[in-house]
Amino acid sequence: MPGSQPEEFSVSAEILALEGDLEYGEYLASECTTCHQADGSANGIPSITGWETEPFVTALHAYKTKHRDNEVMQIIANRMSDEEIAALAAYFKTLEN
Amino acid sequence: MTINRRHFLGSSAAAAAGLAAPMVKADGHGKPRVVVVGGGAGGATAARYIAKDSKSAIDVTLIEPSRMYYTCFFSNLYLGGFKEIEDIGHSYGTLASGGVNVVHDWAIGVDRDAKTVSLAGGATIAYDKLILSPGIDFVEGAVEGWDVSSQNAMPHAYKAGSQSELLKAQLMAMPEGGTFAMVAPPNPYRCPPGPYERVSMVAHFLKNNNPTAKIIVADPKPKFSKMALFQEGWADNYEGMVDWIGSDFGGDSVSVDPNEMTVTIDGEVTNVDVCNVIPAMKAGRIAELAGVTDGSWAPVNAIDMSTKADPDVYVLGDSSQQGDMPKSGFSANSQAKVCANAVRGALTGSKVYPAKFSNTCWSLIDTDNGVKVGATYEATDEKIAKVDGFISATGESAELRKATYEESEGWYAGITADMFG
Repeated sequence: MPGSQPEEFSVSAEILALEGDLEYGEYLASECTTCHQADGSANGIPSITGWETEPFVTALHAYKTKHRDNEVMQIIANRMSDEEIAALAAYFKTLEN
Repeated sequence: MTINRRHFLGSSAAAAAGLAAPMVKADGHGKPRVVVVGGGAGGATAARYIAKDSKSAIDVTLIEPSRMYYTCFFSNLYLGGFKEIEDIGHSYGTLASGGVNVVHDWAIGVDRDAKTVSLAGGATIAYDKLILSPGIDFVEGAVEGWDVSSQNAMPHAYKAGSQSELLKAQLMAMPEGGTFAMVAPPNPYRCPPGPYERVSMVAHFLKNNNPTAKIIVADPKPKFSKMALFQEGWADNYEGMVDWIGSDFGGDSVSVDPNEMTVTIDGEVTNVDVCNVIPAMKAGRIAELAGVTDGSWAPVNAIDMSTKADPDVYVLGDSSQQGDMPKSGFSANSQAKVCANAVRGALTGSKVYPAKFSNTCWSLIDTDNGVKVGATYEATDEKIAKVDGFISATGESAELRKATYEESEGWYAGITADMFG
């Protein structure tokens, strides 16, 4: 999986346990698919389909808190609530690589 | 052609539409009908998402004259030799297979009382919701001496395709040590960093093929998008080649003579070999014909991109006057998804989620030297308002600039897949 977070970064069990709203996740995902391809293809921008919940949620929280570099991802994640991140994780998990 | 305009009837209804848009019953016919005019980043995306997400509950027709669409974004990279023209061309076959009725024709009129769109080919198409995403047209008389009949002698190349190929051919045919001139546009216009990325790509081509050639830019503005980044890039990579003349130095006083191939800047006449005239812009003509423009652009409600003039007519992308977002393909694509969600909700009762918008514009300065500017936006009562943003810094490492360029390549693949399927 590309771009793993710094080892010291983790999110709480409470955040990881949030159940994502699939339908909301599908809507929110349309913001992601301007760059990340829905069919899992990756050239220059990593694939985000088919990820397990924990790494997906952790990655977005790492961008949100600026523990991961990339200004585009930082401002996108910055305004996402915990529930929205959970919804996105739930949706992208359903997409095949 | 008679066009009924309801300039004043729509405004209070539009204001009342808000979040809880009433479900529109398609009376007297079967499925609700959405007509989309313009198959670029806004229109193709909106058509695709409505067809895909409504799962055939909505009839979607896309009206686009071109059978092959050339993206304006990355067309500068074609000029610079980083892309082939085929790399930026896209057909509509996959959209059609995905359930969009693709009609290759010109929309030439909108009757907002009858809720129909008339086509140059003679057909009339009825709609419940109409989405206009016609890009830009040029303001007549914006550059003294230039009109559309001069665009072969002095191409704009700001609608990609044959114009891009023409400008590239002229660039390649420039005599040794010749002069390339650009007349840059006033704000607001499509793709704010576009003219300056173009200068960079032309400079890249000339450095490798015609290193004693010069570039003159006459600009009606005192400053421009990513100015510090571009000026640093020109100094570092194309030293002495680019002469940018802003409005403080007479760049706003320009005329051209396409027969003599001269450019006159602040009274001084210069013979040029290539002249790229990018005139002032306005909303695509059909928005004006539909009576939803006010001045050069179509004012829209940020919450769903419906026009202030008519709650059943939406305008996306370059043609819209929406607030803080730059006119870009990324913006149009972002607005299209908000609009598609709202239109589907209004027609089928599906859930309508809060509007979220974002934009990033990448530009290439030289090989593996990419920069970017981006922001997130939200809908307020007044406009699409900026929330947060960033811009590349001057003096960044070569490694970061290369990563930024590679990211732009990934974005191109992503957005074109998102638009065309």
